[in-house]
Amino acid sequence: MTTLLFSHKACLAHDTGSHHPESPARLAAVLDGLSGAAFGKLDRRQAPEARLEDIARAHPRAFVDALLDAVPKQGYAALDADTILSPGSGEAALRAAGAVAAAVDAVMAGEGANAFCAVRPPGHHTEPAHAMGFCLFNNIAIGAQRARQAHGLERVAVVDFDVHHGNGTQAIFEADAHVFFASTHQSPLYPGTGARSERGVGNVVNAPLRPNAGSREFRQAFGEIVLPALEAFRPELILVSAGFDAHRADPLAQLNLDEGDFGWATERILEAASRHAKGRVVSSLEGGYDLNALAASAEAHVAALMAA
Amino acid sequence: MAKTMMPPDIAKLSFEDALKELEDIVRRLETGNAKLDDALGAYERGALLKQHCESKLREAQARVDKIVIATDGKPTTEPLALD
Repeated sequence: MTTLLFSHKACLAHDTGSHHPESPARLAAVLDGLSGAAFGKLDRRQAPEARLEDIARAHPRAFVDALLDAVPKQGYAALDADTILSPGSGEAALRAAGAVAAAVDAVMAGEGANAFCAVRPPGHHTEPAHAMGFCLFNNIAIGAQRARQAHGLERVAVVDFDVHHGNGTQAIFEADAHVFFASTHQSPLYPGTGARSERGVGNVVNAPLRPNAGSREFRQAFGEIVLPALEAFRPELILVSAGFDAHRADPLAQLNLDEGDFGWATERILEAASRHAKGRVVSSLEGGYDLNALAASAEAHVAALMAA
Repeated sequence: MAKTMMPPDIAKLSFEDALKELEDIVRRLETGNAKLDDALGAYERGALLKQHCESKLREAQARVDKIVIATDGKPTTEPLALD
């Protein structure tokens, strides 16, 4: 069975200003890496715009409307010091969320074994009604709710290995026992949440890592804390917030992972999916700000998806 | 806790200190003597410093706008709350 790749050129047109780390060049680097011969068998799909009713399963309608209204017709608007809107940002945000929703539909329909969404802006910091940390809509949360409500799944898991805690995804699901959320992340680091003690209603698992932690600490935390909880949850679908900024070369954080660690983690997730979820995994790009490390890590991640 | 994605060592810099470090990086890159990895790292740090400077300028601009509007109306100088 094939791996699906969802993307759209509108995601390249989300302009955050010159030299913003969350730049169009990030997505261009990922897509360039996935254009090689080794990735020839990817089933490439255009991401649709998310339906407003799908977005509204994760965010109040008033927030969705306000965010789209805030997109300027020219120049830039800053939601906060980090989170920038410009004329192309509305469509990019809709396509990024739409990619994950469409990937969930396609994987549930058996059109592919698993899927990767090469999109921006990222999503995992956006809480129900608060966009932040470079994120506009919470793409992965929208995908999880699509799986729950359009496909009737009872147990959906989100695994987030971006170097920053997925505070948004946690906030959206921390009271929902049908959705499992696990995150490895650096602590201390933006946004400051994600302590081990944050457990939701028993559906949230946080594994913070100290600055300068590397492969050994990451694989220990992932293997001893995240994976057993994921297995015990018996997910029917696993979504992955695939941020690659825990790489040693990333300028925004101080963890020391390499491409092999992302490949390893992906393989472990796929194993859990094969045991409980008929192999179904939908992954979406979050962070990763060193272009070379980002491309190499995304390649390792997608290669593992293709080898499942 | 950290209120911005910007790395904490950059986030705490004043505009002037960030600009000075950015100028140092530009000088180093212009001499062309650094190893490629060091130059790429310096370039990435420079980009973040520039971003931080621009963020500081936007904050200053917003403050100036607020004062101008106030003097057109009532003579108040309340600062713009950004967070």
